[in-house]
Amino acid sequence: MNLFEKIFNYQVISRLEESGTIAVTAKEAFEDGTRRKLEALLEAESGPDLRDILIEKARSRERHVYHPLLRPLRRLLMNGQGLRISYRLKNGTVNEDQSGFPCKLEYSMVKREWYLLWYHTRRHALMATKLANISSVEEKAMPAPVAEKLRQKVAGLLESRKRQAVVEVVPAYNEELSRILYAFSCFEKEVSYDEAADVYRIRLTYQADESEFVLSKIRFLGLRVRVKEGRYLLRRMAEASSKALARYGQDGAEPLPETAADQDIPG
Amino acid sequence: MARESFDKEIQFLRLLVLTSGAYNRQQYAERLGISVHTFDKTIKYLKEVVGAVGQKLPEPQGKELTEMLRFDYYESADPLLLFLFRAKSLKESESRRLSLLLASLQEKPMTAAELLDACCEAMPPELALPDEKTIRGDLKYLEEVGVIGKRPGGRPYRYAVRDELASELTDEELVELYDFVDVMANTQVPSVQGYLLRDNLKKALVGRGLARAFADPFLYKYHYYSRILDEAHLHAVHHAIAHRRKLSFLYLSPKKKTRYASKNTNPLFEKETAGVAQTVVPLRVVFDHQYGRCYLIAHDSRMGMMKFRMEGLTELEEGEAVPEEAFLRMAKSAEEKLERSWVTDTGRTATVRARFYKPEGAARDFVKERVLLQGQWGEIVEEDDSSFVYEIAVSGMSEIKPWLRSFGSSCEVLEPARLRREFIEEWKELAEYYESVREDF
Repeated sequence: MNLFEKIFNYQVISRLEESGTIAVTAKEAFEDGTRRKLEALLEAESGPDLRDILIEKARSRERHVYHPLLRPLRRLLMNGQGLRISYRLKNGTVNEDQSGFPCKLEYSMVKREWYLLWYHTRRHALMATKLANISSVEEKAMPAPVAEKLRQKVAGLLESRKRQAVVEVVPAYNEELSRILYAFSCFEKEVSYDEAADVYRIRLTYQADESEFVLSKIRFLGLRVRVKEGRYLLRRMAEASSKALARYGQDGAEPLPETAADQDIPG
Repeated sequence: MARESFDKEIQFLRLLVLTSGAYNRQQYAERLGISVHTFDKTIKYLKEVVGAVGQKLPEPQGKELTEMLRFDYYESADPLLLFLFRAKSLKESESRRLSLLLASLQEKPMTAAELLDACCEAMPPELALPDEKTIRGDLKYLEEVGVIGKRPGGRPYRYAVRDELASELTDEELVELYDFVDVMANTQVPSVQGYLLRDNLKKALVGRGLARAFADPFLYKYHYYSRILDEAHLHAVHHAIAHRRKLSFLYLSPKKKTRYASKNTNPLFEKETAGVAQTVVPLRVVFDHQYGRCYLIAHDSRMGMMKFRMEGLTELEEGEAVPEEAFLRMAKSAEEKLERSWVTDTGRTATVRARFYKPEGAARDFVKERVLLQGQWGEIVEEDDSSFVYEIAVSGMSEIKPWLRSFGSSCEVLEPARLRREFIEEWKELAEYYESVREDF
């Protein structure tokens, strides 16, 4: 089915909305599980499968698209209650029966992994726990006003963790602007253009714990971009470049003592 | 095949989204190769569509479109660019008719004659009344796209809305279906059909008073959400490939400053070409997860295999058919060439060896985890307590290079020597810059 069908037209949609009509086109794509379940309803519909012609490259290995805990957890989120959770830590120990408040289910497109974002009530901390590491989770009653308060608290926490940095496109690479902007298009960003100097600057806004991912993107782009603002990123890029040169045994560069190795996207 | 391909709107939106506010109207218009007047008109039109679709956007009427399209991760998981796929232009009378037909059928199954009456009755006086032929045409269209169906029984046929998905599922099942579609549309490619279905299911949930069910429980991190613009041509390309037909288009290289450029640059063998009219045999589409972009892989009678960035395709038109045998030969050859491409580079195959260093004092080896996750078909061939060697045979090194570099000092390229030298030179240049601004941090 063509993606520009008349049936998707915005005027048609808004009119249908006024009259309370829903038009579900049966030829839209489904995946295995749901398809099996819905087969009876959908009779023998078959549309062209666009994936026949598609080759996916540089894709992260996928562990599970649909984790079994997604369903119970989303119900938990929908009910607006608290939770009791047991989960494994990175070092292998298990945290039993912790109380908290669930916020969101988050999927990292890079790691191809599901996380539960939740607020740990005793530790007053925002947690991101891999679904794969959760051994048990159940609903725990929480009065609505308490839940609302926690919701606001979490929003405030997220806001306070925001970081900003400015990255400049090296003018010699302006021809590759499209590529560079694509690479940053997974972040909240603002681009400014100085016409006289022909210089593009990209202001990135990201969560503090995403700094490692921002850094990996900047290193990915190599000579095309330079960090202009953001002390942490500047320091880390300086460390990475001198340390890398030391790896290659280049004179004048000494490995920096006691600084973290290039951390990657932390889990 | 739809004649309408929204080339202009797609280029327009892509530029707005990618550059998010970098240019003023004049500069945007220059880069798009259009007049400021056309720029304003297009903005006005797109705003109208966004407003009508009623997407969750901050105060659409007061804000600039760029502002509206700004990506805010924690605000919404709705694909903001989806509205483009709702932008197909329809005559006022046609959009009225289609909605009236569906609204009438929503109440009860009806025959074409009954629908004609219902339509004539409800049509606003300023619009022309439809005749039976028009109504039958509309019904045929709605049946084709799967929105309505004929009821069992003889003529005159009774038509009914096919809303089984919305009506026959329990609340619980509907929520599950919504979740499933949401997850699939967001994590797999292609996505647009899934997003469109998701929108409709959302309406069904609201209709049942289950609005809180979709209070966006899912977030998708590091999403290239502008990727859905590349899907605009996917259907047309798929159709041509499925029917073994040639494709003609004007290719605008994304590297040029102006998108609507002149047509006289020489195409280079297996290189991205600029601003030229092309007629090729389309073979495959490559989706690059590193940038969230698509490439068309095609065969040209003079040039052999060629690659085009999907975003550069405009004025797409299907041409003559090619013999099945020839098509299969070309497709097989292209797949073989791409087998060892990191993305689409089909240069000379070389073996790249790199040593990766394990993080010091970290609870787990996230370097190795990432290499295993993203290293495609490469393998770890040596390992000791502090490092491991990764090896991969890859066609052309230009595309794997950024990935290796993204590991910073955790990665040391061993072979080929040329690549190792390039890394040393680049790190020197980077070190020089960051050393020069050291006092700033």
